[in-house]
Amino acid sequence: MKGVTILGAAALPVGKWQTPANAERHVLEHETLAKLVIDAVEDAGVDKNDISSLVFSLPRPYTQQKYFATFMANYLRLPCSGSVAEIMGNGMTAGLAFETAANDIRLGRSRVALALGINFETATSAAEHMMSSMRATGDVDFHVPFGFTPISWYAMDAARYIHEFQSSRKQLASVAIKNRHHASLNPIAQFRKPITLEEILAQSPIVDPLGLYEVPPRSDGAVCLVLAEEDVSRASKRPYVRVRGRGFFHEGAHQISEVPNDMIALVSAAKAGHEAFVEAGIAASNVDFAELYAPCTIVEVLVSEALGLVPRGHGARLAEEGQTALGGRIPICTSGGLQSRGHPAYVTPFYSFVEVMDQLRGRAGQRQVSNAQIAVTSAELGNYNAALVHVLEAVR
Amino acid sequence: MTLSLIKMDRPRSYPPRQTEFTQHFWGVLNEGRFETTRCDDCGRPSFPPKPFCPHCWSRNVAWIELSGRGKLYAQTVVHAAPSVFRDEAPYRVGIVDLEEGVRIATRIVSEETPELDHPVEIVVLNYTDGPLFAARPVGDRRKP
Repeated sequence: MKGVTILGAAALPVGKWQTPANAERHVLEHETLAKLVIDAVEDAGVDKNDISSLVFSLPRPYTQQKYFATFMANYLRLPCSGSVAEIMGNGMTAGLAFETAANDIRLGRSRVALALGINFETATSAAEHMMSSMRATGDVDFHVPFGFTPISWYAMDAARYIHEFQSSRKQLASVAIKNRHHASLNPIAQFRKPITLEEILAQSPIVDPLGLYEVPPRSDGAVCLVLAEEDVSRASKRPYVRVRGRGFFHEGAHQISEVPNDMIALVSAAKAGHEAFVEAGIAASNVDFAELYAPCTIVEVLVSEALGLVPRGHGARLAEEGQTALGGRIPICTSGGLQSRGHPAYVTPFYSFVEVMDQLRGRAGQRQVSNAQIAVTSAELGNYNAALVHVLEAVR
Repeated sequence: MTLSLIKMDRPRSYPPRQTEFTQHFWGVLNEGRFETTRCDDCGRPSFPPKPFCPHCWSRNVAWIELSGRGKLYAQTVVHAAPSVFRDEAPYRVGIVDLEEGVRIATRIVSEETPELDHPVEIVVLNYTDGPLFAARPVGDRRKP
């Protein structure tokens, strides 16, 4: 198998970009993403003719242009011998698109593959959007009739964590303060004004015990990543990122199964993380920073524990002590995370790789983790019923 | 065992669909019984009820009645609701571990914040268009 590297990246600042259906002038997905393709390919220094795979995250149903991947192959005039496809996997969508592109390189089908996508959704209200998303995070006949929403499952994780580990909403909220501070240093973050604990606790409740600043915002975003076989990256003489380990696990449950388990152990994250660390030949203690898929404050705590970055039951306390902040023992979500960098869900895992590219190439400016060599990322779906974990390494 | 019935003066906001198979579950629920399927081969229950065993993939399953007694594993209150539930919000939902070793997710009928790991019982919410099940802390007889 060929080694996979990431050689280039370009990302749209996360925010509200989508125009309403009746707008006189539109911001459209294909134009927005095509600009990023040109930028990312220039960042990588590869030739257009070297690219032979285009793997997209599925756009939201609000995107009018259907068969987006094949439309874009024409828009970019890019014949491909590897893959042209749109990938879907709920919150893990962009992680699986990344993996599909990486597999083309592993199998020798492409020397350069683009993993890319755009998530435009903010012109649709949250209440209407949830009419769709509630059917993605529950059994339509045995969960949805009760009114569960996607983040209501994380809220129940929070209730359980507070109950089992004598934690508190205030302790968990320290994650949101930390992430906003990180976002204040990230030019592509959606929310960059620092916030205080008092401000967090004063926000309107969303799903108890979590309020507006402890859950993800609605966001639009778009990313293009340039993946390359290691020979290509080495020859480029540019700094790049090597995929050193990868793990995946689906626990065979959709939010919950009827078999009682320890819901907040996030067994999929633990198993996927272990597999990724073994393949990379490292331990969790070797990780310099982590960019985790964590929609709510509680989820960041739970996945950092499941990956072994912090001890079980101590994640919230260590976050409160600043150990997961920039300058702390293990910086987590240096981009600002999903609460503050933003959460355009179908491309969110792409943004994790963008942050890793910034950090591991020494381009993260004021939020640079000093001497960053090894990073870990995660993507998930449901209530971390499945997890995809990557270990990435700087090559300079 | 017959479950407590709570009359609701409105239709369900998002009615579950019924199949030839699951109509039994909803039919007996309407009469105050909480049933699911259990495998005749490996003995394990499943929920929701299924025409096969998800654990061993046997087709030999039978309906069993559940006691309706359990413990509250987790709960939350949904304030920001999908549009179809907006006039019900805020409302309480949770996860319940039934004494038969079956975990379910459902509406929680309780005005106060219920204690986790404390006993709850399954009740039937009789809406004008059909039933839903819910759980309420044991001893709490107030209406939702």
